[in-house]
Amino acid sequence: MGNSKSFFEFEAVVSSWDILLKGFAVAMFAATLATALAIILGLVVALMRLSTVAIYRWIAFAFTQFFRGVPLYVLLVWVYFGLAIAVNINLSAILAGVVTLALLNAGYLSETFRSGILAIDSGQIEAGLALGLSKQVVFKEIVLPQAFRIVIPPMGNQYVDAIKDSAILSIIGVPELMRESQQLANLYYQPFEFYTCAGLLYLIAVVLVSRGTNKLEKRFYTHSAQN
Amino acid sequence: MNRTTESYIEIINLSKSFGSHKVLDNINLTVNRGEVVAIIGPSGSGKSTLLRCLNFLTRSESGEIKFQNRSWSLNSEGKRYKGKKYEKSLSELRSEVGMVFQNFNVFPHKTAVQNVELGLIKVRKMTKNSAREIAIKKLEQVGLGDKINQYPDKLSGGQKQRVAIARALALEPRVMLFDEVTSSLDPELVGGILEEIRRLANTGITMLVVTHEMGFAFQVAHRIVFMDSGKIVEVGTPDEIRNSQEPRTRAFLSAIL
Ligand SMILES: Nc1ncnc2c1ncn2[C@@H]1O[C@H](COP(=O)(O)OP(=O)(O)OP(=O)(O)O)[C@@H](O)[C@H]1O
Ligand SMILES: [Mg+2]
Repeated sequence: MGNSKSFFEFEAVVSSWDILLKGFAVAMFAATLATALAIILGLVVALMRLSTVAIYRWIAFAFTQFFRGVPLYVLLVWVYFGLAIAVNINLSAILAGVVTLALLNAGYLSETFRSGILAIDSGQIEAGLALGLSKQVVFKEIVLPQAFRIVIPPMGNQYVDAIKDSAILSIIGVPELMRESQQLANLYYQPFEFYTCAGLLYLIAVVLVSRGTNKLEKRFYTHSAQN
Repeated sequence: MNRTTESYIEIINLSKSFGSHKVLDNINLTVNRGEVVAIIGPSGSGKSTLLRCLNFLTRSESGEIKFQNRSWSLNSEGKRYKGKKYEKSLSELRSEVGMVFQNFNVFPHKTAVQNVELGLIKVRKMTKNSAREIAIKKLEQVGLGDKINQYPDKLSGGQKQRVAIARALALEPRVMLFDEVTSSLDPELVGGILEEIRRLANTGITMLVVTHEMGFAFQVAHRIVFMDSGKIVEVGTPDEIRNSQEPRTRAFLSAIL
């Protein structure tokens, strides 16, 4: 190759492959755990938002507004450094990252879930009540399964966002894909190669998640036409 | 037919408004056990609202509804029931009052048999096996024996409505409410569903049937209620209504027949 540097040097990337993959695994772990927590929390907040108890509605509304309104960067700093200073809660970097992503995504998902629940035809609810089912059973057996089907695509999108957003955990030193790429890039003076490689890994993850969501959606849509 | 003179449902001075719009205006009606009552009247006259008040899907603001002399509106001191406990107790009433809707409202994520067994399991607290047995029997009764494992999106409108009827009947209600159950069906499917209701009428179950099918109403009902603008204009046997001298009834019937 002579002494002119080629456009894309593979060697360093290939020899650091295990580090990159480990970083990728950390990123996927953080995003997946955060999304799982966000689904549970988001559902609770959505239910509070739809509650007849005013105080629940207000808390849920404030939660949603707050976590959708604050930039991820700021939220992360608050959770990691802020909590330690203010109330002496010292979270490890990875835990702080997961909590931050979970809170942010719960804010978005709560709105997704709320509109999914509200999208269910009131005739469905009335048919359940008319059978003598309690409101709780109507919710669990009739509303929730149908709402779930509606929110599969936006839930998938949220997961994709979480995967990409996890890159920002690098600022607090979580050894995820972005952080590892940064360090390798500096070590080998090859930012272009390493960041491209990281980008490709994120892309692969996103494509796989999208395909998974499509499959899930298809499975639930097979028998789902409203009446 | 097994009609009795025992008053079974009593509707007393029932009124309901949506905002300033009085949709039911002081309705009084008594239905006997085993009686089949058809409710007819122009669109917007309050037929559906009246039916929905009977299982409390719609809450009237004044008046009273009694089933077998038990008031479901007023407590022993004459105060209106309300609150969480009352809401819960309504489930008990609703499980005795079956309702079938114009747009079927079958549960799209459940198969035919799952639609029918849900109430048996959750309301009647049956085991899954005995619920399934009854559900299959009910579906066979409405001619869907070969469709028990189909999801609603694979069923025709008429078949969906049969599922809805089987679902309500599975709980063995004492009263059945039908709200224009053939109105969203293709014309060739209407007859079959009417036949289903006619058969039911002969079993002696108490029924209130809101319908635009006048021929059917006059054939099957013991009494016909004609409503207009939230009021009951006239109640009578099919013959009495057919020969009514009341101008509004005559106008409605001559327009529709
Ligand atoms: N939830 C509601 N909110 C406001 N207005 C309502 C509501 N439900 C019914 N109404 C009004 O009450 C009136 C009576 O409605 P209802 O559905 O009882 O009439 P109907 O006799 O069943 O008519 P149709 O033959 O068209 O079904 C109508 O003017 C309708 O617009
Ligand atoms: Mg109606």
